Amino acid sequence: MRKALLAFLYFLAAVVALAFLALPIVAIFVHVSPGRLIDQLSNPVVTDALIVSFKTTLIAQALILLFGTPTAYLLASRRFPGRSLCVTLVELPLVLPPAVAGIGLLAAFGRAGLLGSSLSAAGITIPFTQTAVTIAVAFVASPLYIRQAIAAFEAIDPNLVAASRTLGAGPARTFFRVILPLSRGGLAAGEALAFARGLGEFGATIMFAGSLQKVTQTLPLAIYAEFEVNFDVTLAISALLVLISAAVLISLKLTSLWQPSEQISPSRFARLSWS
Amino acid sequence: MEFATQHRIGRGRAVVLAALCACLCSLLAAGGAAARTDTHTSARVTGITVYAAASLTDVFPKIDSGPKYSFGASSTLAAQITQGAPADVFASANTTIPAQLFAKQLVQKPVVFTRNRLVLVVPTANPAGIHSVYDLKKPGVKLVIAAPAVPVGSYTLQVLKQMGLTSSVLANVVSRESDVRSVLSKVALGEADAGFVYSTDARTVPGKVRVFKIPAWAQPKVTYALAVVSASGNKAAAQRFIKEVLSKAGQKKMITAGFLPLPKAKSGR
Repeated sequence: MRKALLAFLYFLAAVVALAFLALPIVAIFVHVSPGRLIDQLSNPVVTDALIVSFKTTLIAQALILLFGTPTAYLLASRRFPGRSLCVTLVELPLVLPPAVAGIGLLAAFGRAGLLGSSLSAAGITIPFTQTAVTIAVAFVASPLYIRQAIAAFEAIDPNLVAASRTLGAGPARTFFRVILPLSRGGLAAGEALAFARGLGEFGATIMFAGSLQKVTQTLPLAIYAEFEVNFDVTLAISALLVLISAAVLISLKLTSLWQPSEQISPSRFARLSWS
Repeated sequence: MEFATQHRIGRGRAVVLAALCACLCSLLAAGGAAARTDTHTSARVTGITVYAAASLTDVFPKIDSGPKYSFGASSTLAAQITQGAPADVFASANTTIPAQLFAKQLVQKPVVFTRNRLVLVVPTANPAGIHSVYDLKKPGVKLVIAAPAVPVGSYTLQVLKQMGLTSSVLANVVSRESDVRSVLSKVALGEADAGFVYSTDARTVPGKVRVFKIPAWAQPKVTYALAVVSASGNKAAAQRFIKEVLSKAGQKKMITAGFLPLPKAKSGR
């Protein structure tokens, strides 16, 4: 009897939680007819924001991969004093409120900021440009990738790396032929998360880059700007972002299915040691 | 809310007693009883939420610290009220938005309660060397204005149109901010070279910005209106708040904050 009651309570809690999480998302799609949603997508505000969003997010992702991968590998493969400090530093933007990130970026790269005078001496002003959007996106999104990449690198069986080296492959060859292929599942997962986070970036962008259609107005900023102008447009953009986010999530689940054969590794404890 | 009240006027035992009294009353009101606080204290209306234009951020709590306030772009607040936000009073930086809500029966008849003046602000250092609206044409000037749906944004467009500067100046706009205070902060921080705000906003950051007047012939009529929200659960208190703003004491505080007095014929109801 009590067992049945308990099971019922679990069931009830699950129904409440799932309904709570699903309702707002469903509401976006049922608020107006799908036909009108699709009509709104051809609105120049939406198409311009889509272009700005994808351009800045893709550039940010390229930078994150380029700088994040070696950083993650270094943090995963070396033990040095201050390493945990570095890892914490990498993770900090993840838990930082976006508005704080915006203020920080202004204080660092703004005209009146820390690097402002040297930047303007070089003829560079960052705020209110697409560079500012890209920086904001990279700042908030990179921790997601680096974190995941560290975990992926740490999960690699060190014996495989050692074997590659004893068989005569140099460190570079080992990295590209052994380490990268073995960690690609984790790297792809981190990349997907960083992409989704970057696409959704709002707070830091609006403070650091402002909002101007065709220049700095990304999809989330367009939602905010159109909220008081045309609610249907905000619904359309929101629906679009729900679909993109869902696609990212699903591809994430699929990539985790084809994670390579690291499972043979006996030394999986490393995966947990840093977190 | 009650704490803020006590903080502000928490000098003298009698005042503390009155504040405690108000606390008790608002607790009763929250409990569903239609308690009236005005029987004890004249200048405080509690238990209501006032949605007010961002430019009223500093002055409204000085007129009455009782209500809960939500400040933002009048257009944003109107959108929120349209979506069913729990506002009792809506105070807009123009008359068109309240009129639109009135036409949709979302608010009761709006009342004009103050006026303001649009000004041009630049950072104190004035990096772009701007001394008048005409200087905004100079290539490379980083001008920040408010979004066109926001009252201050539409006033800005009116000024530029009036002065025949629309296309040349709009080319220098680097951001369309969500409300007047965002425009002000981008200029006060020195990130933008110039921005259009109300003269009352410019006064809130003394020493950080330089203010330039807009020629009188191009100055738009900046008129504020407020109204009781139709869906308000406490219309009597909302009405009292409006009366308070329109009262001599309320108007005096608006003028002290730099707002312009109402034209004689239009004052009152």
